[in-house]
Amino acid sequence: MPFFAEEIFVSDVHRKPVLDQMGEEIGRLKDIIVSGGEALPAVTSLVISSGGTTYVVLWDLINLFNRRVISVNTNRKSLQPSAPSPNDILLCRDILDKQIVDINGAKLVRVNDLELGDVKGHLCLVAADIGFRGILRRLGIEARGEKVFSLFRYKLPQKLIGWHYLQTVEPKLTRLTLTVSRQKVARIHPADLAEIISEVSQKERTALFGSMDIETAAEALHELERQVQVDIIDDMTREHASDILEQMPPDEAADLLGDMPEAKAQELIKHMEKEEAEDVQELLEHEEDTAGGLMTTEYLAFPPDMTVEEAIKELRLEAPDVETIYYLYILDSDEHIAGVISLKNLILALPEALLGDIMKTPVKTLHLDADENEVAEFISKYNLLAAPVVDENDLLRGIVTVDDVVDFLLPTASRKKRRRL
Amino acid sequence: MKLLERIKNLFAKRRVLIFLAVIGPGVIAGNAGNDAGGIATYSIIGAKEGYGLLWALVLITVALAVIQEMSSRMGVVTGKGFGDMVREQFGVRVTLAVMALFIIANLTCTIAEFAGIAASMELFGVHKYISVPISAFVVWFVVLKGNFKQVERFLIAISMIYLTYVFSGFMANPPWREVARQIAIPHIRLDKDYILLFITMVGTTITPYMQFYLQSAVVDKGVRIEEYKYAKFDVYAGSFMTIFIAFFIIIATGTILHPAGVVVDSAEAAALALQPLAGNFASHLFAIGLLNASFLAAFVLPLATAYGLSEAFGWESGINKTFREAPQFLGFYTAFIVIGAGVIMIPDVPLIKIMFLSQTINGILLPIVLIIMLRLVNDKELMGEYVNSKRMNIISWTTVSILILLTALLVLTSFVTL
Repeated sequence: MPFFAEEIFVSDVHRKPVLDQMGEEIGRLKDIIVSGGEALPAVTSLVISSGGTTYVVLWDLINLFNRRVISVNTNRKSLQPSAPSPNDILLCRDILDKQIVDINGAKLVRVNDLELGDVKGHLCLVAADIGFRGILRRLGIEARGEKVFSLFRYKLPQKLIGWHYLQTVEPKLTRLTLTVSRQKVARIHPADLAEIISEVSQKERTALFGSMDIETAAEALHELERQVQVDIIDDMTREHASDILEQMPPDEAADLLGDMPEAKAQELIKHMEKEEAEDVQELLEHEEDTAGGLMTTEYLAFPPDMTVEEAIKELRLEAPDVETIYYLYILDSDEHIAGVISLKNLILALPEALLGDIMKTPVKTLHLDADENEVAEFISKYNLLAAPVVDENDLLRGIVTVDDVVDFLLPTASRKKRRRL
Repeated sequence: MKLLERIKNLFAKRRVLIFLAVIGPGVIAGNAGNDAGGIATYSIIGAKEGYGLLWALVLITVALAVIQEMSSRMGVVTGKGFGDMVREQFGVRVTLAVMALFIIANLTCTIAEFAGIAASMELFGVHKYISVPISAFVVWFVVLKGNFKQVERFLIAISMIYLTYVFSGFMANPPWREVARQIAIPHIRLDKDYILLFITMVGTTITPYMQFYLQSAVVDKGVRIEEYKYAKFDVYAGSFMTIFIAFFIIIATGTILHPAGVVVDSAEAAALALQPLAGNFASHLFAIGLLNASFLAAFVLPLATAYGLSEAFGWESGINKTFREAPQFLGFYTAFIVIGAGVIMIPDVPLIKIMFLSQTINGILLPIVLIIMLRLVNDKELMGEYVNSKRMNIISWTTVSILILLTALLVLTSFVTL
């Protein structure tokens, strides 16, 4: 059985000398043959060339395979010259430098390098490198390139596409198609999905979104940059777009709609379910960078005369629909905010206790017009996970959760980077 | 009777329609070769040598037609641009080297085109701070907003304006008998000036961007293999027209400026020098010709670069695409126009040096491109039955060898003169 590195790039071994068991050079690694028809193509043999002759050596005869040494388990003299058969798939000849297209045939990028990896004891083709790093590696200057970029405080990212997102290989390929089908899309983490989506162009993106279920689409949309979100929603049919908007947290949906032309936004809201539409409509009326614009209208509110036991029961019912369950706001009969109970205190309290007795008063509140910085300061000053927002009449209108202002709390560099074009 | 039938067949409505639909890339690529630098070279040659170098045009026509035909054939057969093929067959190293040279050569050339626009408009009293931004915007806007068909028609229309030079040539009223004699029995001299002019003429007429543009445009247009014979005609017509125009530029300056002993060093100087000798109208025709030549090449150079780079790195490309669909393609197109026009706006730009650089880099790039092209066009895996025939290979290798020798000399001389 060959001993091989767990991860290895084709350009690291291409044209490297191949030794026999006596340590004599047979020739140089010219190409790598893989089996077709499988999701992750496995390496079946190596093509070695020496002067004008080529040898095809079966993978099982390989002893060591890593970026420093490639060796074969036989004697150089016992090898017979042979050539790959016409239907063999050769990594360097057939896949390296080939065009990658998306499901609709639009060109994305070329294969700059290929990554091989250990899959259940077999060396398989696991990823295509599509980044600048791959180009540098092909030139043999990856390390130097990294150093140059680090002078500018830039870390060169690895840009790999897992081979399971690409079509199965077959002989005589001219282009590789990114197969992001409905089933596969559902299994990809939303952040990874966002990465793929940001690689594909406008038209294809809309098609891609069309192939996802509503919930996945809403989550993936959430990970994208605002302008990209707007473009995607803009291109969808009204019904589809409003379905996705309903799935999103109301504050996210409102922010997104706020960036669209007024008429189009109103049209989409009209198509949404009444309840969600009202929430979004209310949020839309506030400036985006104020507490009113940042807040969500989904929060937990209970009357003071409810027992802890009843509240927990109620909480279980409502929790799936709200963003944050860490604070329960206690409203009096006039809908004024009377107090607040944290989830921890609720659980620690006796079941028969009344909410009005264990609640904390007075509650610190933000006004609808407070700007982003005020909101961020408020949340950080009082160490909150969410802050209640009230109007002129002291009525509770919504809450701003910490994740909506976290960008203002963190230093610039560590802010979450959203994917763009 | 039989002949009549054949002629009738040739002009059958359907055939004419296909022909009109296919024609374009060859004519545009060829004419774009007559750019600001080309016009300058021909004007200088006419003024300095009279009709003494006309014979060489016949050879250049053949060379240009042979090379352009191979480019067009590769595009039609493989559906891939030259950048695609270099990357897929020669890998990252060669691609990066070719693309680096290609970018520098084309960028300097683009700057020269905007200089041509500025110079010709200044002959009409329009300041460059007005003419250059406006023309840059038009070049950018037409490609960004137009679809392939509209842009192609626009460029063909511009190509037809070159015919003003034919008019200039006839207006000069040359002694046609003498012209014919000079072509048939050339007086080749072996002094330095004469040879240098000859080499420069070849170098300025056949440039890599013409092959890149032609092959990419054929692919972008989607010419099918059944239509190839029409595409071939397009290429031959384009090559012929290119040299036809060059011929009349040399005739005009050779008839008017040469006998008067006026030596010029640029196209705008030629236009100015024509004024006292042949009148305002002749001078204006020359200025319009220069403006038009620079304008066409200001489209084709950035397009050729954007196509080439997008192909090499696998980005979406095409004139029909929007900025969102093909951001890199249109990004490079935009950047080239902005830089090309921007440099001209800088006061005291060393234009002569920039043009020398462009000529030198093109001279280094052309042999590489031609050798790669001959290897690709003879690759059975890629071209199938459309590889070069034996006869074609003899012609093309001879042409390419001569061109490589001449461009090598050109590069050497430009190093010496620098």
